[in-house]
Amino acid sequence: MKEDRTRATELIVSAVLRSGVLISAAVILMGLVLFVVHGAGGGEGGIAATLAFPRSIAQVWAGLRSLDPISVITLGLLLVILTPVSRVAVSIFAFAMERDWRYVAITALVLTVLVASFLVGEVGG
Amino acid sequence: MTHLLIQFLVILGVSVVAGVVGSLLGLGGGIIVIPALTLFLHVDFRVAAGASIVSIIATSSGSAATYVRDRLSNIRVGMFLEILTSVGAVCGALLAGLVKGSALFVVFALVLLYSLYPMGRKIIAELGLRRCPDESADLEAPQPDRLALKLGFSGSYFDPAKGRQVEYNLRRVGAGSAIMYMAGLASGLLGIGSGVFKVLALDTAMGMPMKASTATSNFMIGVTAAASAGIYFLRGDIDPLIAAPVALGVLGGSFVGTRLLSRLAGESIRIVFFIVLAFISIQMLLRGFNISI
Repeated sequence: MKEDRTRATELIVSAVLRSGVLISAAVILMGLVLFVVHGAGGGEGGIAATLAFPRSIAQVWAGLRSLDPISVITLGLLLVILTPVSRVAVSIFAFAMERDWRYVAITALVLTVLVASFLVGEVGG
Repeated sequence: MTHLLIQFLVILGVSVVAGVVGSLLGLGGGIIVIPALTLFLHVDFRVAAGASIVSIIATSSGSAATYVRDRLSNIRVGMFLEILTSVGAVCGALLAGLVKGSALFVVFALVLLYSLYPMGRKIIAELGLRRCPDESADLEAPQPDRLALKLGFSGSYFDPAKGRQVEYNLRRVGAGSAIMYMAGLASGLLGIGSGVFKVLALDTAMGMPMKASTATSNFMIGVTAAASAGIYFLRGDIDPLIAAPVALGVLGGSFVGTRLLSRLAGESIRIVFFIVLAFISIQMLLRGFNISI
């Protein structure tokens, strides 16, 4: 019975990782297609020199509402970053279902560090 | 627009090659793509590291999905040690924002040289120039330490070559944890997966069998990298028009690379890449000193 639950955990974790990669790659590709079709919204010359790109979640969100290609690409990149984060979050529930409270605590600690890293970056970055 | 498109295609092409080479050598794409971006395409080190860190998350998540399904990764061991690697990665990413770019080149060169060391030994041993001491000769089953038992750090996996389930216990959790912190620090500082250090902690320090070590290390790389990627993003070091082709290119390249592995991983190819990478690490070292002098 415990063995079954562990197997279930493994399959859930595996599915989260695989779908995360596929979804984020699809969003990045979609953004790139938009970029080629619509253009960057005004920029010749070097990438870094002329193109402003979003650096915060709020800027990405604002850009998405106007279907800005660069913001769609950035959303895809953020989804890549969120893939392992969601794997960790899902693992907390999976360990809870196994009633392995020690690992619920360990996994929650890792999730805390990941969430904190975004907050630290917001302040210190 | 055309200028951007060409630049995009060049970065994509370079990243595909980096992904193929990285997976052929078992080093990962990041440690290949960063020199390619910085030395040849003159991308700023931190922007290259930001692009690399995203590509690493994508590739390691993809391969970890398979390893976890096939029960090669030890999820509990990985989860516990991710505390250390993620804290290390946050420290590394913050440090990367503080130190000079030239220092990053020098540290990168040293880490690349260190990563090449086991490969060099293997090549020398296989050429028969010198007998390499067999590291798996440690037949005496390691005594698990108390912390390892308490954390449930035992495991097993099915080895098709041996046709049976391989069981293992772990030891020296303290030493393994310390190395894992350093692995996280290197990952956050340089934008690499630092799988070499993670395998060192699992395999050499804690006594996990090589196959399980590789799979567990891969499982951990994504979370470690995610801990620093947020900091890179908010600092403005993830340039979407560089990070997107690098992520897609390295992901696609390593997908192809793992499928080529059995057919292409001949001795001569590895020697060629070894020499090229040794040359590249020296280039990185020189670049670091040129800037600082």
